[in-house]
Amino acid sequence: MVFILGVNFHEQKLVKKALEKFYALGPQTSARILAKYCIHPRAKMGTLPPKTVTALTAELSTMTIENDAKRIVQDNIKRLRDMGTYRGRRHAMGLPVRGQQTRNQIATARKLNKVERRG
Amino acid sequence: MATPNCLRCLLVRPSVAARLPAARQMITAAAPFSTTANSRAAGGPQQGKGKKAPKPPVKGKQMNLSAFKKKRDVDKSKPPLPGERKAYRKRILLSNNNALPVPGLQDVNAESMLQTSNSGKVLSLPDAVVDQLRAVEAFKPTQCWGVFRKPSMLVRAETVELMQKMQKAADSQQALRLVVTGDRITGKSMLLLQAMTHAYLNDWVVINVPEAQELTTACTEYAPIPNNPTQYMQQNYVLKMIQAIRKANEKLFSRLTTVHQHPDLPQHVPVSSPLLQLANSAKEADGAWAVFHALWQELTTKGYGRPPILFALDGVAHIMKMSDYRSPAFEQIHSFDLALVRLFADCLGGNVQLPNGGAVLASTSRNNSPRTPSLELALLQREAEQNKTEVPKKDPFFRGYDERVDAVLKSVQVLRLDRVSKAEARAVMEYWAASGVLRATVDEATVSEKWTLGGNGVLGEMERAALLTMRL
Repeated sequence: MVFILGVNFHEQKLVKKALEKFYALGPQTSARILAKYCIHPRAKMGTLPPKTVTALTAELSTMTIENDAKRIVQDNIKRLRDMGTYRGRRHAMGLPVRGQQTRNQIATARKLNKVERRG
Repeated sequence: MATPNCLRCLLVRPSVAARLPAARQMITAAAPFSTTANSRAAGGPQQGKGKKAPKPPVKGKQMNLSAFKKKRDVDKSKPPLPGERKAYRKRILLSNNNALPVPGLQDVNAESMLQTSNSGKVLSLPDAVVDQLRAVEAFKPTQCWGVFRKPSMLVRAETVELMQKMQKAADSQQALRLVVTGDRITGKSMLLLQAMTHAYLNDWVVINVPEAQELTTACTEYAPIPNNPTQYMQQNYVLKMIQAIRKANEKLFSRLTTVHQHPDLPQHVPVSSPLLQLANSAKEADGAWAVFHALWQELTTKGYGRPPILFALDGVAHIMKMSDYRSPAFEQIHSFDLALVRLFADCLGGNVQLPNGGAVLASTSRNNSPRTPSLELALLQREAEQNKTEVPKKDPFFRGYDERVDAVLKSVQVLRLDRVSKAEARAVMEYWAASGVLRATVDEATVSEKWTLGGNGVLGEMERAALLTMRL
């Protein structure tokens, strides 16, 4: 088991995939982080030397990921709502924001379009 | 209008069934093609007036939930351990006790591949050399060694030509720089194996890269070299390689001693300690590159009884392009910036000399090889220069050429491996027949047939045509 930023990863997990577990850290960013620390793309967590693991944790702690990134999204939605825009209202109502029909198939909007958005 | 009763119900007449004798009823019950339900055909409760007949189980309409459930075949067996499948896929069998021993099969010796008289003969590998070749991974899983009793090989005209060139280069303390190319399954890797065999038999040191793609497809660890950050070392691969070299050349290494100081090594190796000790000092991946560097420096020292070196690499197209690795600035790393590949390229291009002579052999591969326009063009050009024909020119409108590759391949020799002659085909087929693998009389007609079926003498295709191996 390897700890990165307080999260426990299995040793057989690819480093790239482990990095992408963090919210707001996608394939592009993870590829760049790997290159920065000279980790080859097929490296597994178990093969990382402890020095690199701490370096990765330090690197991730400087980035806007997880709750910080989520809060930015929530703030943006809140701003829209406070201004009283149509998009803000639609978020508050949990309805599609971008002009989609609401006759059926709005499960994604119901799930995601909230002022306190989850993901 | 639909009938209120179904038509099949009309066919069932319990009153008729009741009148039949018991024996007859049993036959009806056992009849395989009756459309009537057994319980009904047996006559129901009327049967056997005195005795109490067992009642057929009354079954009401029940909901059968299991009918909607998918049946899952749960595999109770243990899954193979990590790496087990790959080990099975890559296993190399070198002998088969079911195959017949071939009478009169000679072992190859230090000179036998130099003699033109041996061209077109099948010779077997001595056990000691087999161990050495196995250590440096000269055998490939795709070659069908496992069909025969003892690993043996056909000495071809090209083999003799190459070995003579190698020996000549070693005698004159020069390096033979040569690329083996040719069509699919014509025996390019096999020729490299023969070169390694010759090298081991003549006490050379062999450094072998069995698959160049392992170095450049970003599947092994890399790190910038501490005092030279534009080059990258591949510590884990190099560690594996040092161990292979050490295992294959153990006797030689215990005889040779170091003549230089090596301050960068993880362990202190004093001057005039055996090379074996130097090779043994690579225990961790961290110091592996330093050890390899020191080892190379020792082996390429002039004099001191240093043997010639054979540096071989298979699948050369993979190192003639940008690698899949990325630098810390997220730029692609050229394969020549990987230190081990750089060393090979320098040797092949003649920038690094081998003062004790030897050979630098590269072989192209037709399996999973990337397109490398520079390599393809350079091979054609060098071949045309050798044959004194018109040299093909660069396409002026094409931008895919690589200058660094052009520079390396400016002065190499090219050996095109072609089809075998019918005499060679006959020799190898006689060997197959003597091993009991080919069950046919080897005469002119059979040889001609298999030779033609195998694309006019492509050795691998002939194997497929004649041996029907699973090599597809």
